[in-house]
Amino acid sequence: MMKKLFALLLSLAMVLSLAACSSGTADTDAAATAPTEAPASEPVADADPTEAPAEAPTDEAKEFKVAMICDSSISDGGWGMSCYNAMVDAAAEYGWTTEVSDMIAQSAYYETIVTYCDLGYDLIYAPGNQYTDAVLQAAEEYPEVAFALLNGGTSTPEQAVNGNVTSLLPDAQQVGWIAGALAGLMTETGTIAFIGGMELDTTVGKYNGYAEAAAYVGEQAGKTVTTLDVVYSGDFSASDKGIEFAKAMIDQGADVFFGDASAVDSGARQAIDEANAASGSVSIYDIAQPSDLLGQNECIICSQVTDNASLVGLCMEAVENGTFGGEVIYGTLQNGVLSAGAISDLVPAEIQEQYLAYLDQMIEGTFMQ
Amino acid sequence: MSWDFISNLLLASVRMATPLIFLSLAELYSQRAGLVHIGLEGLAAIGSLVGFLVSLITGSPMLGVLAGALAGILVNMIFAYATISLCAEQIVYGMAINIFAPALAAFIYRVYFGAGSTLVQVTLMNNLSTTLGITSDNFLLKLLLDQTPMVYLAYALVIFTAIYFNKTKSGLNYKAVGEYPKAAATLGINVIGVKYIACIICGALAGMGGAFLTTCYSNTYVDGNVAGRGFIALAAVIFGRWSGGGVLLACLFFGFCDALQIRLQVGSFGVPYQFFQMIPYIATVVVLALIGMKKAGPKGAGKPYLREDR
Repeated sequence: MMKKLFALLLSLAMVLSLAACSSGTADTDAAATAPTEAPASEPVADADPTEAPAEAPTDEAKEFKVAMICDSSISDGGWGMSCYNAMVDAAAEYGWTTEVSDMIAQSAYYETIVTYCDLGYDLIYAPGNQYTDAVLQAAEEYPEVAFALLNGGTSTPEQAVNGNVTSLLPDAQQVGWIAGALAGLMTETGTIAFIGGMELDTTVGKYNGYAEAAAYVGEQAGKTVTTLDVVYSGDFSASDKGIEFAKAMIDQGADVFFGDASAVDSGARQAIDEANAASGSVSIYDIAQPSDLLGQNECIICSQVTDNASLVGLCMEAVENGTFGGEVIYGTLQNGVLSAGAISDLVPAEIQEQYLAYLDQMIEGTFMQ
Repeated sequence: MSWDFISNLLLASVRMATPLIFLSLAELYSQRAGLVHIGLEGLAAIGSLVGFLVSLITGSPMLGVLAGALAGILVNMIFAYATISLCAEQIVYGMAINIFAPALAAFIYRVYFGAGSTLVQVTLMNNLSTTLGITSDNFLLKLLLDQTPMVYLAYALVIFTAIYFNKTKSGLNYKAVGEYPKAAATLGINVIGVKYIACIICGALAGMGGAFLTTCYSNTYVDGNVAGRGFIALAAVIFGRWSGGGVLLACLFFGFCDALQIRLQVGSFGVPYQFFQMIPYIATVVVLALIGMKKAGPKGAGKPYLREDR
């Protein structure tokens, strides 16, 4: 009897384990009220995603579904959270149903994607360059499914033999510029820092943009600004590594931080807040990304904001129209996908003015010219 | 290399070694009773989540640690019943715990917080220096006082363990169960009872190790935050030759290597960062080679105990 009971308990345990593998459904209310009119325009590369979404699909019976995979947590207070919210926001706007699997291991990228393909999902949303191989492999096997690769390469859509992959590509250099310009203006020690999760092309691009913008802005202000060499935590969930990296970088004199490492960034902010508390004043700052996180931590003075919802929305629109795939949709300051979030009162008014002027230069294309 | 670099490195080593000490002691108590438990990663994961939730709800990190310990015990009872009463394979059930418990933690987190994506942060346990209102840049004072009560508890447990296993009759009886349970049984020792007690201690310590991460170290909970420490603890017990003092040195060594690679990455020195990330692994291989593979663990470890078996 006891053995049977134990076997039953173990079975229940396994069921719970399987249930936990999927991170829950964020079924949008809008799914029940799917738009009904035909779309007015086709999505084009470098289109302005800030425009209102085109009108609705013609097939009222069709319920579109999008699934996101993510190797970090969607509650990481950074990248995962922002990308998840982007999908949910876009789905609410277009009337799609959403699903997400987060914290998945690299070895499970492909399996998770094809599971969603088998379940009939229309769009797979993979927010990161690291998913490229898995996406391309699945895209070849599931030509009827659309794949949106955030931070995908410029040549990735061409590599998809079925033409069902689209790269959503926020300009990494401009992302770095937005943070770097403020860092260059705010640093008092002349040393700033950047924490990366993995050595991805986009991360390197952000770091380079951050360092060059800070150096340029510092030079204009008559000071030398040095960016510590980029460090990599090796994954996106080790908040403890973020704490240790930030402590080590503060010891090296860094007083403005930017990062591209999800929960690791949250750990770094904790260490910065602790250092500020110990000194009795907020003199070490963090610039968050990719959504507006002002207020989440005391040290955050601004955020580099990427409107991923618009990019994902363009993909949904294209899927509904039957025109999806084979293109690169860029996100830039010029088309409004990239921007700076609200600025903290910790940033003096004159520096805010200078910063906004630099942002204007970036939009006009005259920054660092 | 400046003194500041060295002192900060040592402080970071202590920080990073503490959760490993709890987990390694958990494994030590388990193996000394003849139970090889590779499921520490899972126990720590559930301890981490429950510690975080209770700390969040009650506002008391200390209650969080206690709840984490309790959660570790409860989950480890699955392992205990299967391996002690049913004589099931310990490695298999350890791995089952490693799969089940983190998934259970993720499940509970999702149930409690829903599918939302807001970053939840808790108040961490205060350092002794904060409680006493002492601030100092002196290295020794920082080393001694800039720690949470959990750090002192970890080191106290190491001392207790060393004394218990070597200087007390109860400790020798405990070790006898792990060495040769049949002989221990003939001496009137309750082998099954000791093994269950070992599982309770193991679950509590592993749960506390996990809870340390979310109540004393990082103020957020992220799935996967145990980050392989359960497996490092297994190695630390072997490096430490199944003794309290040895385990402590092994944990400090692993903590030092990890802290070193982080500090060297920041220092850069023009060397590719991948080289520094290899340091903990290279050090593990080197130390293993130096220590050798001479078997020093409990001879009954990993073997099921059947009282009627001849």
